[in-house]
Amino acid sequence: MQLNDTPRLAPGCRLHPTESVLLIPEGALNLRGPAREILQQLDGKRTVEDVVQELLKQYAGAPADDIRKDVVDLLERMQGHGVVRA
Amino acid sequence: MLTSSPISSLPKPLSLIAEVTHRCPLHCLYCSNPLELKRAEDELPTADWKRVFEQAASLGILHLHLTGGEPLARKDLAELIDTAHRAGLYVNMITSGVGLTRERLGELVEAGLEHLQLSFQDLDETTANHIAGTRAHAIKLALVPVLKEFPLAFTVNLVVHRMNLDRLESFIGLAEELEPDRLEIAHVQYYGWALKNRSLLMPTQEQVDRSLPVIEAAKARLKGKIHLESVFPDYFGSFPKACVGGWGRQMMLIDPTGQALPCHSAAIIPGLRFDKVQDHDLGWIWESSAAFQRFRGDSWMPETCLACPRKEKDFGGCRCQAFLLTGDAQAIDPVCRYSPDHHLLTELRLPSDDVLPIWRG
Ligand code: SF4
Ligand code: SF4
Repeated sequence: MQLNDTPRLAPGCRLHPTESVLLIPEGALNLRGPAREILQQLDGKRTVEDVVQELLKQYAGAPADDIRKDVVDLLERMQGHGVVRA
Repeated sequence: MLTSSPISSLPKPLSLIAEVTHRCPLHCLYCSNPLELKRAEDELPTADWKRVFEQAASLGILHLHLTGGEPLARKDLAELIDTAHRAGLYVNMITSGVGLTRERLGELVEAGLEHLQLSFQDLDETTANHIAGTRAHAIKLALVPVLKEFPLAFTVNLVVHRMNLDRLESFIGLAEELEPDRLEIAHVQYYGWALKNRSLLMPTQEQVDRSLPVIEAAKARLKGKIHLESVFPDYFGSFPKACVGGWGRQMMLIDPTGQALPCHSAAIIPGLRFDKVQDHDLGWIWESSAAFQRFRGDSWMPETCLACPRKEKDFGGCRCQAFLLTGDAQAIDPVCRYSPDHHLLTELRLPSDDVLPIWRG
């Protein structure tokens, strides 16, 4: 996953309207920490870096490189589950 | 996946399987429906299904799986989907695709259908139709481009067994050309009609061994394009799987007449009584129905399982399998290497050739 990729949720995957759960065909993934906020922003237009910048606004003071790494790690893990497409 | 709570606590159900009908235009050799199919006149009416879906959502259930038989046989299908979707359920449908027009599909998607699963019996038209007992293969292929016109996740399910496992590579190739979002490779589960045909369908050890690298290679090749999932055949393992995520732990199945079952073949176990959604609400059934209590937790377990740390993972394996193979529903699942009946599996895996297929009615 590159910082200028514009990921989106795979077809048939959506966030639960209230809970920290990603609904996917045949199952569900529990989301921890800011995972929900990250996935919520994916629309196939925003870049990974855009998502990072948005999080930086919310978590003022957090080191940008750590956030960048966390976002990329999460998206790659989700890609491995087949629920995020680059 | 969702983490499960320890075996001793009362879990929350996550998915509801609604067998809305047993009617089906196909007659698959491996159908796991019960041998006594429920008749159309005994099917649960629209209003009852709608109430059940609303109750399911308020219980915290996330997924609805519409299945059968062939769910398309229900004229009220769009109405049912609409209610389930509005209640907040994620609606999946498992279909043979037979009789699904563009117009009808449009209605279902409009109503809230989010994911559709289409199974293929083989890649070659003649054998596929032989297995399905109907000429359905071409219809399925023609349906795929229509599916893509809609905002709908689409899974191709390849059902594998002795007659087609040797051609898995080209079978996967066919599936790739259809470009689904997901691809599932599933071994036949030996219940219902499939059990009657077990000696015809059971793959050999060599076939299973050869299939594993084929699947791994396909996973790597398709990564990022098609998500591939495969379910290893239970009969070839040394430890059982957590059947339906554990008895009475994750899922409920409602059969066409409204009976609530903890697993799709639970009815084969003698002495279980199933409550009906016409008489009780789903929350009561989940907590108190005797059938759901019967093998929930660990108090029913034989001593070997009670003392075994794997019980938190497999919840003691499959009760129906234990009953079918040993005659005792409370026995250790014979798939487990600690079962005194484990040798039965080795014998079952030996292929026998002089058997004739039995198609479901
Ligand atoms: S397995 Fe075949 S016959 Fe059985 S319900 Fe499914 S499509 Fe119909
Ligand atoms: S002994 Fe029982 S709990 Fe342990 S692995 Fe075997 S079936 Fe599972």
